Formats: sequence, structure tokens, C-alpha cells
Amino acid sequence: MEVGLQAVLRVFEDVLNGRMLREQADRWAHAVVQEEETGVVTYSPPRERARIWAGVMYLYGIDMMTAPNAYLHSDDDIRRGMIASIGMVGVAVPKDASTGT
Amino acid sequence: MTIDDLRSDMDAASLGACHDLGAATEPQGFAAAVGPLRQIPPTQANQPLSPERLRQIDRVFFGPFFRDKYGSGGDRALKNHRIRYYGPVQPASDAGELIGRRYVHEFDTVTGLTRGWHETLDWMGNVRQIRPERHDGIKRYYQFDGDGRYKGSW
Repeated sequence: MEVGLQAVLRVFEDVLNGRMLREQADRWAHAVVQEEETGVVTYSPPRERARIWAGVMYLYGIDMMTAPNAYLHSDDDIRRGMIASIGMVGVAVPKDASTGT
Repeated sequence: MTIDDLRSDMDAASLGACHDLGAATEPQGFAAAVGPLRQIPPTQANQPLSPERLRQIDRVFFGPFFRDKYGSGGDRALKNHRIRYYGPVQPASDAGELIGRRYVHEFDTVTGLTRGWHETLDWMGNVRQIRPERHDGIKRYYQFDGDGRYKGSW
């Protein structure tokens, strides 16, 4: 499995744009983590491994809830988490006021 | 029931990354001077491992594998031969008394098995909710009050 920085960014953007459910993003990240346990994940570009992994680990669990149908994170949390984990990689995600629930 | 009781009941996932590093059957082409990376005192047979001893072994052998990936928020050696690696707390800005979530990865140094779960923390640093995941992908939340008492699940 190959995981690229752009792919991680795309998942973040898709979540924030409503094109991907948080649950789907969590499953995508879960698959990467499972593959990583077998040691067969390659990172593209390799020098960005730390940022890619940080992004994956943010996405893993992004669908955490505080109660049924109430997400822990707001969209702003996720936007900040994206920047903190993978940095500004040509980010073009509109800022909106949605609560993410 | 406490948080640790629940964690004990969670299914363990296989490590899946155990590699035979011994290569005992391979012929030695040349004799190289190989020194240990780090010296640690030997363990006596049948000697129970203290958390400090476990941590010492972890630092030498397992740390590079798990700390780098899962332990950026710290790690803790338990009395039951397990080591927990804590990911960074991912902050939540609008979740009341909850400060955020983190991923916890636990490694059993005796069996070589690992398991992981997500947990949410309050502003006091108490674990208020854990979400382990079954092998079939079903997620369930277990909630605790500020004193660590089990409240219920959903």
C-alpha cells in the first residue's frame, strides 16, 4: 500500500467539504494503520513520512462522538488538526460555520 | 467496573509484524565485531518484571517500533508486562468538559499482541470515554464519570 501526502490531504478536504463521511475517513485511516502493522506501507514522498503518519493518525478516530449523533470535533477542530498534522499543502478548503454534527 | 477492567476484556489483535530477527540458520560469512546497542542488566529466571524494568527493556528493544508511531504523547509501563503508548491529544474546542481525544496503543511484551482504542479526556485529564473496536468493525463507547466510575455504554 502506498500512502501519499496528497491522498491524506484529499481525505481531510473531502470530510470538510462533505464529500466523505467521517466514518469513512476513519475506516480509510484504519486500513492504513492495519497495513502499517505488517510493515508494507510506503510513503510518498518518503521524506514526508512523519507528516503523512500524523495526518493518518488524526483521521483515525475522527468520527469519535460524545453522544449518539454528536461528533466530538467541530469542522474548525478538523481544519486546525489538518494544519497541525500535515501542514499547509495547497489547502483549498472553504471555511464554513457547520458544526459537523 | 473500572476502565482497566474494560480494557482487560477487550479483544487483543495480533501483532502481525513479528519478524524473525535471529536468522540462526544463516551461515556467517565473516566475523564482525558487533557490540550491543545499549547495555541493560540481565534478568534472573522467574523474576517478575517491575514496571521500571519493563520500561528499561522497552527503551532498548521495542521503543523504536511503537514509540515513534504511537507514543508521541508519552508511554507507560504497566505491572502486567504491558506498555501503553499514548498519541497526542487531538483537541476539541466545543465539547464541554471534554478536552479532546487520543489513540492508545498497548503492547503485551509477553505475548507480543497489541491492541488499541480511542479515548476522550476531560480538562482534568480523566478518561471519560473509551472506544475499542471489535474485529468485525463494530464500535462501542464506554463512558465514565470524573471519578473513573463506569456510567454505561452505547
